[in-house]
Order: sequence, then C-alpha cells, then structure tokens
Amino acid sequence: MKHQNKYKIILFLLILIGTWSCERDDICAETTSTTPHLNIRFYDINDPEELKAVRALTVRALDSDGSDLGDITLSSPFDSIALPLRTIEGLITTRFALEKDTDFRLDTDAATESNVDIITISYRPQYVYVSRACGYKSIFTDLFITVEPDDNNWILTNEILTTTIENENQAHILFRH
Amino acid sequence: MKTKHTSYFVISLLLVMFVPWTSFSQETNNTEKDTLIFKQKYGLRLGIDIYKPVRSFIDDDYTGFEINGDYRLTKRVYLAGELGTEQRTTTTDYLDVTAKGSYFKAGFDYNFYQNWLDMENMLYGGFRVGLSSFSQTRNSYTIYNTDQYYNEPVTFTEPQEFNGLSAIWAELIFGMKVEVINNFYVGVNAQLKGRITEDKPENFGNLHIPGFNKVFDSGRVGIGFGYNLSYLIPIYNKQKKVVVEKEKN
Repeated sequence: MKHQNKYKIILFLLILIGTWSCERDDICAETTSTTPHLNIRFYDINDPEELKAVRALTVRALDSDGSDLGDITLSSPFDSIALPLRTIEGLITTRFALEKDTDFRLDTDAATESNVDIITISYRPQYVYVSRACGYKSIFTDLFITVEPDDNNWILTNEILTTTIENENQAHILFRH
Repeated sequence: MKTKHTSYFVISLLLVMFVPWTSFSQETNNTEKDTLIFKQKYGLRLGIDIYKPVRSFIDDDYTGFEINGDYRLTKRVYLAGELGTEQRTTTTDYLDVTAKGSYFKAGFDYNFYQNWLDMENMLYGGFRVGLSSFSQTRNSYTIYNTDQYYNEPVTFTEPQEFNGLSAIWAELIFGMKVEVINNFYVGVNAQLKGRITEDKPENFGNLHIPGFNKVFDSGRVGIGFGYNLSYLIPIYNKQKKVVVEKEKN
C-alpha cells in the first residue's frame, strides 16, 4: 500500500517535470523599443509653432545610381513621417525623394505638376543589446541633413532636433514649408 | 566502540529473552509490544545526473555533466550539493550564443519521508545557494528591425567571447530518492531558482547560465530539473531499536 503511493508520487513528479521543460516562445514584444525610424515633422513657415500637413506626399529612398526603391508606407496626415534607415556598419548616406502633390503628376491635367525635393541624410548605426527575444537593435548617431537646392524647393528650412536617434517618441528633424 | 557493540548485543539478547515473557504477562491486552533491532546504514551518497549525459548525446547544442551528493547530518537533515559543468548554445532568429562554464551548489535537504526500518529513501525539500563561473560567446547576431524596406538584413558572424562572468542564485529543490537495488538510488528533482547577482557582458546579456539554466527576459526566476543515480557509501552502521505494536490474534 505504502509502495503504491510512492510510485504514484514518482509518476506525478515525472509528469510535472516533463511539462515544465517545454520552453516558452521567445517573441520580441511589439511594445519593446527596437530599431527606430527617422521622425520628420512638418511645420508652417508662416506660423512656426503649427504643424502643417504636406498635400499628397510620397517618399522614396534613392539608390546610389539615383533609381528609387519604391514608395515608403506613410500614414496620414502627412504632418509627421517616419522614414526607415539602413543598419549596415559605418557612416551611411541615404537620399530620399519627397514628392509633394503627387496626384498632380498622376492625373491627366498637364497644367498641374508635383514638386520633388531631394534630401540627403547621413548617420552612423550603433548596435545596442535589447533582450533575449529581440537581440540587438540599431540606434543612429551623427545625424546630418542637407536639402538639395533646386529651382523650386518646397522645403524652405530644416532643423536637426537631435543628432542621435534613439527612439521614436520624439521628432528628430523639422521641416518648414 | 567495541564495548558499545557488546552492550547492544547484551541488551538485545536480554530483550529477546524478555519479550516472550512480557507478552505473556500482558495477556489481558489486545495488543502486544514487539521490539526489533535493525542495522541502519548511512553516510555519504554520491551520484551523477543521468539526464545531462543523455542530453549531451542527443542534443548537438548541449554538453553537460553533474556529480551530486548528500550527507546525513541528522535523521531528517542532509547536507547536499552539486558540482557540474555545462555548455549550451542558444539560437534564436536574431542571436546565436554559446554559454560555457561550471557551477557549484550547496545547501541542505530535509527528508519528509518516514523510512521503514533500514531504508534511506527520501522525499525531500531543500535549499541551495548556487555559484556559476562561465563565459559567453556571441557566435552571430542579426540586427532586429521591423522595417524591411531596404530588404537588407544585417548579420555579424564574427564570434566574440565574453570571459570571466559569474552569477549567484538561491534555489528551492524538491525531489525524491528511492533505493532500487542494494545501496543504489534513483532520484528525480525539480528546482526553482532566483537570481541574486550576475555579471552582464558589455552591451550584451546572459542567455544561459550553467547551473541556473535559461535566463528569461521577464525576470530573475529560473527553473531546472534532474534525474540522478547515486550510490550510498555506508560509512556508518548504527543499530536501531524500534518498538512495534502488533495486533494479537
């Protein structure tokens, strides 16, 4: 009788331990701050404290030979945009084409046209350990921007708010138009 | 020592003589008292964790070995400890890391099991303090990026070793040890651990600590289990007297 009980306890412990050894999934939670985007905000040139959305904005990153890599998904209203940055090692220069009034290029009316401004962003990725599930993220330092001058720039002034991009809670660059 | 044994012998002889007489005299009771003498053997029990070598054989990412032992201090309290070595490679989508090192755990076990006569079986709960000395090698890592716009995963495959790491934890252990054949015991145990301190490598973390096992993102808690096979070296032989009450027919 006593022996029977003993074996029941052994069996119970074995089952308990068997279920414990199953590992929990290691999934990086969406709420975790990982590799940030570059946040750009657009302000009104006439009213410097007011956000001003850009009409029908599309943005594309440009290759070194000038061909574009396709539209970056943006969320409206276009008073604030988040651009992806590259995470390879070293000082990186990425050119973006910011096209205002994109619909004017696409429609059949020849009298209206869009306005494309090219910006050049340079930055240096820095790898930071996050956690077991997320591994390493990249933050970016030494942020620098130039707006390529053309005949008709719609981006009138620019300002770097922080040279280090650590998270997405704040704007990093400010444009006025 | 010799006189002690002799006196035990004399006492037992006297008991053997008197037991029938006392039982005879207690004819009116419906129970009778019977005294048994048996040899109790105890001492140092040494063993190995049998799961670790088995896992080393079947799992390419794991090598481990552990010796464990307990020593009876009192009827219920045992001094207990484990000494082991482990190497474990953890691979996730973004990291490939090998932890390697050795550990030592020491503490006490309390036996809840009431043994029958000369048995030394255990159903126990115990406490340990664990110490691990280890290294971590980051074999490769991929930068976590939710945005795949550039379609350019960045992976570094140059291994980097972080040496001289250590960790200390406290542990609760529950298990049993059962004698299967003469002086050989099989055991199973489960461990619940709480990390007290750890050295984290610069800009990195510990994914696995030898002896502590998997390091969870969520906190200081760790778990473990073991299956052991051990041998009781009978250092002490003690004669013990028990009085048993038997129902009279």
